[in-house]
Amino acid sequence: MKRSRLIAASVAMIATTGLLLSGCSAGAADTGEKQLTFMFRGGEDEKAAYTTAIKAFEEANDVKVKIISTTADDYATKLKAAIAGKQIPDVFYIAQGDIQAYVNNGVVLDITEYVEDSETLDLDNIWEYGVDSYRFDGSLVGEGAIYALPKDVGPFSFGYNKTMFEAAGIPLPDVDVPLTLEEFVDISKQLTKDVDGDGELDQWGTGLNVQWSLQSFAWSNGADFLNKDRTKVTVDTPEFAEALQWFADLSNVEGVTPSTAQAQTLDTYQRWMSGQIAFFPVGPWDVSTYADLDFDWDLIPYPAGKTGESATWVGSLGIAVGSTTEDPELSAKLVEYLSADETAQQTLVDAGVQIPNLKDMADTWVADSTTKPANKQEFLDIVNDYGRALPANNTYNAEWYDELFTNIQPVLDGKQTAADYLKEAQPKMQAFLDDANAQAGIG
Amino acid sequence: MTTSTSLPGSTPNAAPLLAPASGIPRGPDSRAPRGPNGKRGVSRSTSYSLGNLIVTIILSLGAIVMLGPLVWTFSTSLKTQDAIFALPPQWIPDPMVWENYLRVWSAGPLLSGIRNSLIVAGTVTVIGSVTSAVAAFAFAKLRMPFKNAIFLMLLAGLMIPFPTIMIPQFMVFAEIGWVDTLLPLIVPGLFGNIIMIFFLKQYLENVPDSIIEAAKLDGASYLQIFFRLIFPAIRPAMAAQFILWFMAVWNDYLAPIIYLNTPEKQTLQLVIASFNAQYASQTDYPLIMAASFIALLPVLIVFIIFQRQIIESVALTGGKG
Amino acid sequence: MSTEVHRSTPPSSTAQPLKPRRSLLHKREHKVALAFIAIPLLGFLLFTLYPLLYSVYASFTAWNGLAAPKFNGIDNYIKMWNDPYFAKAMWNTFFMMIGIPIGLVLSMALALGLNRKMRGTTFFRTVYYVPVISSIAAIAIMWQWAYNGDFGLVNQVLDIFGIQGPNWLANKDTVKPALIIMATWKGLGYSMLLYLAALQSVPRYLYEAAALDGAGTWAQFRHITLPMVRPVTFFLVVTSIIGGSQIFIEINIMTPLGGPEFSSASIVWYIWRQAFNNLQMGYASSMSIVLGLIIFVITVIQFRLNRRNQFSID
Repeated sequence: MKRSRLIAASVAMIATTGLLLSGCSAGAADTGEKQLTFMFRGGEDEKAAYTTAIKAFEEANDVKVKIISTTADDYATKLKAAIAGKQIPDVFYIAQGDIQAYVNNGVVLDITEYVEDSETLDLDNIWEYGVDSYRFDGSLVGEGAIYALPKDVGPFSFGYNKTMFEAAGIPLPDVDVPLTLEEFVDISKQLTKDVDGDGELDQWGTGLNVQWSLQSFAWSNGADFLNKDRTKVTVDTPEFAEALQWFADLSNVEGVTPSTAQAQTLDTYQRWMSGQIAFFPVGPWDVSTYADLDFDWDLIPYPAGKTGESATWVGSLGIAVGSTTEDPELSAKLVEYLSADETAQQTLVDAGVQIPNLKDMADTWVADSTTKPANKQEFLDIVNDYGRALPANNTYNAEWYDELFTNIQPVLDGKQTAADYLKEAQPKMQAFLDDANAQAGIG
Repeated sequence: MTTSTSLPGSTPNAAPLLAPASGIPRGPDSRAPRGPNGKRGVSRSTSYSLGNLIVTIILSLGAIVMLGPLVWTFSTSLKTQDAIFALPPQWIPDPMVWENYLRVWSAGPLLSGIRNSLIVAGTVTVIGSVTSAVAAFAFAKLRMPFKNAIFLMLLAGLMIPFPTIMIPQFMVFAEIGWVDTLLPLIVPGLFGNIIMIFFLKQYLENVPDSIIEAAKLDGASYLQIFFRLIFPAIRPAMAAQFILWFMAVWNDYLAPIIYLNTPEKQTLQLVIASFNAQYASQTDYPLIMAASFIALLPVLIVFIIFQRQIIESVALTGGKG
Repeated sequence: MSTEVHRSTPPSSTAQPLKPRRSLLHKREHKVALAFIAIPLLGFLLFTLYPLLYSVYASFTAWNGLAAPKFNGIDNYIKMWNDPYFAKAMWNTFFMMIGIPIGLVLSMALALGLNRKMRGTTFFRTVYYVPVISSIAAIAIMWQWAYNGDFGLVNQVLDIFGIQGPNWLANKDTVKPALIIMATWKGLGYSMLLYLAALQSVPRYLYEAAALDGAGTWAQFRHITLPMVRPVTFFLVVTSIIGGSQIFIEINIMTPLGGPEFSSASIVWYIWRQAFNNLQMGYASSMSIVLGLIIFVITVIQFRLNRRNQFSID
């Protein structure tokens, strides 16, 4: 009696599971049609822009593209899981910093041959910086075979509140000549004041996040994070210490920023948007949000240190072809579409998501004076002239780089000098870098 | 807190099953709460009422703390985007906009998210509860060599962080082609849940062995014993654990992230997360809060409906476990 | 293990069967028990054991998650021994377990309060339970906003008392207490309910007898109430420690970079970061194994201590 009950129960469970199995895996039915998977992360605007481009691609090439999208935070996890589970997508977003690791481990395909001779794509019309970011010759990123095309290039530029300047009667900064650090501090001081007379400051010169702005000041002061062949961490130079100290002093000594704790929250961003900050960074992704601000603003080159030349970083995201794809040529074509299809690019640019990937489109966009900012050329100048990759993007992983910022707070609070801190940090960073290079098989 | 669940007629020993196993005689009003000093009686009623008043005030303050963030969420969801940053912050939104609750449905695949979450959570808890209950019965009442070692081993499965076993698990499921289906989220749960087993095992300690021995001698099979004696007795405990498990699965986030690709297959938590990522950069917090609030509602409703069961079951379990 | 000791019932008084019959009876019982336990056991073997063993293997490899793992002996373990971030993350994790006793004390107090005969207990029960059932992701987002230095709820409240609240999540001294408060807030209702039930089933006559013997309120609480609810305390402590060691989602949402100067990074968060950001899955696995072992040992110790403290009422 009990045995048959047990059997009956087991059979029931197996049946249920079977039903579930058949019901849930119905989507696996193939019609024999070619199918590509495209994994990416992005907001609604990007999804919308790509969907149109992909539809056109599907029709032109008789293929079905399965789109997998995630949030920005989850993308890395999902992609890594997919790779580990041997489910590498045919086409997917790849971060600049991952190229080295992915190529070394055979995850992405060399697409040089498809891309250079392509009929649909004119490689020269895409920013060199963008394409070079995804070249790798086995030891250094930036030269060699092409493994991805840029989804976009994101020059991190510097903006200022025109209305505030005019109200204070200060001459507007030059769009071609960068301010010196002293001039910058000077103007900031003039603009840091108590506007409504309640005894508290409610307007500041600037409010910068060290993680995104330190690079500019270090570079323009002649310092750098790594040496040329990326084997040595070079943050303990006097120039670097100078730049970091100057940055920290903006808050502690010159008093031109809201308190440091506040600078790490959303708040300086919000304050900028409410018109309380004079100078603030601007990336292409900000343009659409800033279009509705109720003050006038524009772009200028970053203030420059000892070298007298501005410097800033350019972010980028690439689109690569998975090495296990069954149709490399088709996948490469999809990459080209997503990177360079004019309609898609135009949609993205109009939505204010990015600057155009295509040079000719960019020139038209810059010439258009009806959209903000007026000095769009600054973005292009960064991409063409003085923009560089974020330091960790050309190394195997970013552990050495993250280390710099993990314990940097005491410097920003004025409790430790930049020079002391960098002296302590350099060996730790070097250890991580050596580790990373060892894993990459170089250095 | 009653002995209202009576057993189906077979054994005459129904009533004592739910009394404390040690057979302590209970007075007719033994369940009435007594004051902290154990005293009852008319002469102390004034100080007792005063005590009640103080306690109520403290509890109310605590309740404000408990509900505060949730009320804030709801309030934020009714604001316009600028109003969020108003200083001093508003509790009652002015103007009050309800449009976020409409926008939320088209801003993402919320409906299919709810449906998928229901499928996963429902299937797992219904089937998994039965398997867990049967196993708990065996652990608590039946003899078997190495029983305790096995129990400890199952418990140990909780101690390795999920990120570590996540990838090998994913590799296995990828091999058999279950990626982008709901199966990896459902099938493992069908085999039982060790927390539930632990809880039911504790509870079953209160059920006297003598009853089971008697039933065995009467010739009942183990399954009969389970369905006739055990199952009805632990039903309230199962109800409580069922709800908690349902909520755990409903709120699960990590597993759906890596297994589900197509937006239509995604569970509710993923949809909410993507809301947060997508709209936070636009500082559209009202929309995010509206979505979060909607996500809370189903479990809140389930809880309010089932809460009596929970109190009873927890009461019956907490005594001697 | 607790099972044997909890039996406070007298052994079965039915006549002992003859030896051969008894072993046959037990053998049948063994088989049935095995059949019943088989299902979770099977689930464990299929879905947990293989990944577990794979992780153990992976902990001895240099595995970047992209290519196949490469054996490298105990290098990962040596690295862990010397890794200050591992130590810091462990410290953070165990520090945040301070919330456990605080939560137990608070929920016990609440349960005592709700144990009184008065109106509104059902309402309060519901209210205190609501945080428990909400999704941790939604709660984390809510609290992240509540802890905001300028616009957050917490600082607004403090403002009423004239206290200038810190930027909770950006200050290395306040970020852990902030997370502890949130975790305690979330778990309070659950522990409270369990304690409430336990309180309501403590036999009255014990208190009466003690009062007659001259014991005061506090003595009664210490010698009757507390011991009688110990089983619940045990369940809660065991499960809270296991759960607390795995705290991750809240950290990831509220302090995505591990907090100011790494002061809110939990060990699982650090494991996650190593595995998915820094291509160090082998190393992450070794840290997981160490964590699992530590928790396992702690749990076994707890079970042993619990067994020794068992008692029963006759």
